[in-house]
Amino acid sequence: MEKPITDYDEVVRNCSCSYCGNNCDDITYLLKDKEIVGVRHACRIGASKIINDKDQRLLNPMVRNSEGILEETTWDIALDKTAELLYNSVRPVLYGWGETSVEAIKKGIKIAEITGSVIDNQSTICHGSSIQAFQNVGHPVMTLGEVKNRADVIIYVGTNPMDDHPRHLSRYTTFPEGFFRRNGRKDRTIITLDPKYTNTAKVSDEWIQFNMNEDYLLFNALRMLLKGEKLDEKEIAGVPIERLENLVETMKNAEYGALFFGLGVSQTLAKQKNVDVLIQLVEDLNNYSKWSMLPMRGFFNVSGFNIALTSETGYPYGVDFSRGYPRFMVGETTTIDLLNRREPDFFMAVSADPGVQFPGYTIQHLVNIPTIQIDTHWGPYTELSDIVLPSTRVGVETEGTAYRMDSIPLFMKKVIDKPENCHSDEWILTRLYERLEQLKQMEDE
Amino acid sequence: MKTINLTMKKETSIAIEFDNVLPEMLYDKSQKEIEDTVIYRGNKEEKLSDYFDIEVSGESENSDDCTIVINGDLSRVKRIGYYMSGGKIIANGNVDFHVGARMSGGHIIVNGDAESYAGREMTGGILEINGNVKEFCGASYAGEWRGMSGGRIVIRGNAGKQLADYMLNGEIHVNGNCDILAGVHMSGGFIQIDGNVNQWIGGQMKKGTIVINGNLEQILPGFKLQEIIHNPFINGKYFIGKYHLYSGDKGVKGKGNLWIKE
Repeated sequence: MEKPITDYDEVVRNCSCSYCGNNCDDITYLLKDKEIVGVRHACRIGASKIINDKDQRLLNPMVRNSEGILEETTWDIALDKTAELLYNSVRPVLYGWGETSVEAIKKGIKIAEITGSVIDNQSTICHGSSIQAFQNVGHPVMTLGEVKNRADVIIYVGTNPMDDHPRHLSRYTTFPEGFFRRNGRKDRTIITLDPKYTNTAKVSDEWIQFNMNEDYLLFNALRMLLKGEKLDEKEIAGVPIERLENLVETMKNAEYGALFFGLGVSQTLAKQKNVDVLIQLVEDLNNYSKWSMLPMRGFFNVSGFNIALTSETGYPYGVDFSRGYPRFMVGETTTIDLLNRREPDFFMAVSADPGVQFPGYTIQHLVNIPTIQIDTHWGPYTELSDIVLPSTRVGVETEGTAYRMDSIPLFMKKVIDKPENCHSDEWILTRLYERLEQLKQMEDE
Repeated sequence: MKTINLTMKKETSIAIEFDNVLPEMLYDKSQKEIEDTVIYRGNKEEKLSDYFDIEVSGESENSDDCTIVINGDLSRVKRIGYYMSGGKIIANGNVDFHVGARMSGGHIIVNGDAESYAGREMTGGILEINGNVKEFCGASYAGEWRGMSGGRIVIRGNAGKQLADYMLNGEIHVNGNCDILAGVHMSGGFIQIDGNVNQWIGGQMKKGTIVINGNLEQILPGFKLQEIIHNPFINGKYFIGKYHLYSGDKGVKGKGNLWIKE
């Protein structure tokens, strides 16, 4: 049993967590001598991320020398070198952005535009296909506040928030007392649709197991049943028809239904079309009751990048500025595909670690091209990077804006001072942009 | 008749974009002007002659009388025949993304495989691929709900996922096999697949006709058997054999026709 923290001299309340798309904004930091010594209300993952901040922290800019060793250097040298490499590249890719502020992202978009780069974020390996479906067929949206106060039937499909978004159930969907759900958990029915018996399935009222990669078939069948069609089959996607009929009845009779889906839907065989037909199922349900849906977004501002980029360019991720105007094509302008095709000749990761997230074959290409890291901590990508620019933590050392998974913008406070020689992503990108403009001016002259 | 022969002399891992290499843009140009044609490579503009040896023979008065022959490894040459409205392009090699995309006329022959988005949003003309095609052939742009609306695509090999996504009109003939979700969201046009088809063909289809001469792995529950017909007359020709006619996708109150050979 861990002992409660009592040795602190300052309490900072109502801070936003910078771990997952829940963006819990009720976090309390306990400070002693201007250092965080404790975190209240956060989940174990969020708290661990904040408390263990010092571990493996990048503290000075570094450039890899001729012997292949990262050497500490000055900000001017590191930024000049980054600007020169980026400016002279033909197919640069600027990737990441899921764990930084919208303010920094907007600077990144300006850099992508001036350098003719591809700018992409983690959506390319997670909910990108969901966003494509939203753009194709629309999206019945809701806020998490609505779910808390109104929802009586909550369905999780292909997602396991108990492990990935630990406070999702306790803060928004399952356990909290809401304005119209005075008895909290007792007033709600939780159903999990997942091929695996996850921890979320364990706390649900019902777990419906279906065959992996048959999501599209399952959602199609549910739509048919909802429309009153009789199905000839005895089971669909491994689920007996009677169970599906019962599920449809539960959904039809909901007072307010909320559906959450994860990568178990957006990254299985039919990808975008899984989400596409799921959206249409939820739209059909609105003929009987009020239903809305949300993707379970991972990083705390992965949604913010999609919103900022869509606002600037019309496209949510994987935007290619090589011709001076924005273009987007899945498989063509998305990072993994570009790396698989060996196209990029420059790669900059901002608050992301491709060394952890990317498949091995793509990482092989990163070894052969100039790579830049703008991040707070040492990780596998640091080992690949030619230049390392140490940044600061949004919501801890730097203030900024982030969008929660339901597209609600939240202000994230600065709580403590940053390490002396680290700078915010926004500061770094602003200096980089200035250098790129200077190089452009010199070329024009 | 003007023939422009392009032979690739320098390979590149970064794709080249061929928007400006079209019969209607080059039929009245001199050898020098053709050599100076701008092609796009990443964020740079370069000359066609930087990557291709160019030979020009004959003269033409309009684009229909002009043929462009492209030789070499074209697997990093994108947008061949993009927005093409007349004339002929013959690509001898595997081609990259968007071959024949948005074309409205003319004839493209690819003697090799094609990457994704071949014939995307095409409105007319003929696109012949004597190899395999990857995903989204004859489909729509990402986020767009109008795909191919005219013309004809012939694929001698196999087709990848989501063939004819959001197809409105036109014709696609696949000699080989077809991957999942062909004709998804289709609301018009005709698809003939001679080989086997993976699952979920015609999902959310509203109108249009699909004929499958091979085996279908799994039919969606939204398709209902209407009748069984011998030697049916479909899209202006007879199909010999016993065909099961399904109608769907009922999930979207669709009235598309799905013919499956027994």
